[in-house]
Amino acid sequence: MSSQNTRTNPAFYAVIALLVFMSVGPVILMFMNSFKLDVDIISGTSGLIFLPTIQNYEKALCDVLWYEPDHIDFCSLKFGGAFINSLIIALVSTVLTLVIGCMSAYALVRFRFMGRDTVSLTTLMVRMVPPAVLLVPVFGLWNNEFCLDRDGLIGGAIRDTFGGRGDVCLAGTHSGIILIYVAMNLPFVIWILQSFIVQVPRSLEEAARVDGAGPFQVFFKVVLPLIKPGLAAAAIFTFRIAWNEYLLASALSDRDTKTVPILIVNNMSEFNVEWGVIMATGMLLAIPPIIFTLLASRQIITGMTAGAVKG
Amino acid sequence: MPTIRLENLVKRYGNVEVLHGIELEMADNEFTVLVGPSGCGKSTTLRMIAGLEDVSEGEIYVDGKPVSHLEPKERDLAMVFQDYALYPHMNVAQNISFALRLAKRPKSEINAKVREVADMVGLTEFLGRKPGALSGGQRQRVAMARALAKDSGIFLFDEPLSNLDAKLRGQMRAELALMSQRVQKNMIYVTHDQIEAMTLADRIVVMHGGHIQQQGTPEELFKRPVNKFVAGFMGMPPMNFLDGQIEEQGGEIFVTGDGFKLKLDDAKANTARMHSDRAVTLGIRPSDLNFDNDADPERALTLDVQVSEYVGAQSVLLCKCGGAQVMVEVNSESPVALGQRLTFGVNPRGIHLFDRTSERAL
Repeated sequence: MSSQNTRTNPAFYAVIALLVFMSVGPVILMFMNSFKLDVDIISGTSGLIFLPTIQNYEKALCDVLWYEPDHIDFCSLKFGGAFINSLIIALVSTVLTLVIGCMSAYALVRFRFMGRDTVSLTTLMVRMVPPAVLLVPVFGLWNNEFCLDRDGLIGGAIRDTFGGRGDVCLAGTHSGIILIYVAMNLPFVIWILQSFIVQVPRSLEEAARVDGAGPFQVFFKVVLPLIKPGLAAAAIFTFRIAWNEYLLASALSDRDTKTVPILIVNNMSEFNVEWGVIMATGMLLAIPPIIFTLLASRQIITGMTAGAVKG
Repeated sequence: MPTIRLENLVKRYGNVEVLHGIELEMADNEFTVLVGPSGCGKSTTLRMIAGLEDVSEGEIYVDGKPVSHLEPKERDLAMVFQDYALYPHMNVAQNISFALRLAKRPKSEINAKVREVADMVGLTEFLGRKPGALSGGQRQRVAMARALAKDSGIFLFDEPLSNLDAKLRGQMRAELALMSQRVQKNMIYVTHDQIEAMTLADRIVVMHGGHIQQQGTPEELFKRPVNKFVAGFMGMPPMNFLDGQIEEQGGEIFVTGDGFKLKLDDAKANTARMHSDRAVTLGIRPSDLNFDNDADPERALTLDVQVSEYVGAQSVLLCKCGGAQVMVEVNSESPVALGQRLTFGVNPRGIHLFDRTSERAL
């Protein structure tokens, strides 16, 4: 009865409307501004009435367009390249995090070894360290320590293949950024997956062992399918963070490996802020995580119905 | 089919010893039931045979070969778990065929086997369903079918019926009995329910506190329990125990106690004579007491009837004998009124005597 009342209460709708406005409002603003010229955006007079233009998108996508728009003399933005960098970095780091994460989580839950509880607790504590704290030491290590001598065998080979001067370092490579993202996301993923693995009844694993499964078969054929919802949740989480991350990528990437968030900020200079292009790139940036989340969340739903079965 | 022998099996968790040297031999095609109260070590024993628990000391022999160092999959056994342990992400057919698929058997053989086994347990229509869409009894059947499909020599059951409701349990018990006749295998069955044990077993092993108390056929255990624990555990309603004393009066042997004086017969008297003046516990099953007001007072108990529990054809009377409580099983038709003091004749063969300190049968 009381729930009926709350549902018909106008204040309830007011709160919902406010929440919807707060979350959708900025997106709508960005969407509309991405179709306006900079002049219209800054003047602020036109409001909802303006002549939509795709100039901003043309400018943002100038390096992947098959035609040359008239209003662009020089294509300074490399959105296509940055987009591919972002995709590579986010996808590879997500996959790596999940693979390592689910295995370590399983080990932490099921195996008995010395210091297990300590390890379990520390993984979460590592997560508490803000990324900015990591930045300085990682920057130093990636630039100066984790390098291959340019005269060395492997370093020389890389140098010969890809060109360049100096030693081959982790800084400025995809691997360098992927590595730090994996390290950053791993504790949380382990922590999430632990709670999912705990829920897998032990007798299922025992049944599989009696049925003739080795340890890896038990893990891949029985445990992994059952923690799919956990994997999907962890994947969404990891992908989103890796995709949006700015601080570490800005320091560790170079011209060829920079990701989309960094590209966006490059549109601001001391002379000019290209709001239209920033908005357009922002809209484009939002597409992959949405697609990824939709795909992954479908796994959560199917996984939930499967997991509802008591072993 | 293999024989299984447990030799001085010990299990410790840290410093706590939960199994103290189990010695057991299970013959070919035998249905062995391990029975005992919770925490008696019966499940641990079974899990050690399955290879799911390490053996702390001792050895398990299957067909004379030691197996305690082997992985479960190398032991040629199938197991039915208490909570069924069906793989929720696989349908019934996949559940049944999991072991065969792991063993990389040819597809045609797997399909044939799945169909055969599903037919045997009556699951043919449900092969495409996930376990979540099945009822408790059907899940139980899937678990059984999965074990059957493996074609191993040893079958282990870990309290397989304890999650079912009473009616279904009775039905599945009958099906299990039928199945054990059909598939000639060595079966080991763990339960805390002595009715399951009595109805299914070729041999019952009663365990308590990490020790084997007694093993034998259901009849042996029921009629000749070696100690008070086994006597009280087997049989429903449980055996009545009355504290007493053995006394010799004029050449006759009596068991006397608070509110009763029973004369013992030849064989019982002879054994009792050797323990004259010893403190004993008298055990009489509720079914060995018959309502008979004309019974010889030296071969009868006089009881105050307090409560009558009607259970259909039989009624269980809760009575007082001195300070102790005594249960009597009588025909429901018997003219018994509450609050009466009645005489019940004692079946002379139903008298059990136990030493009161060691609790062993005399």
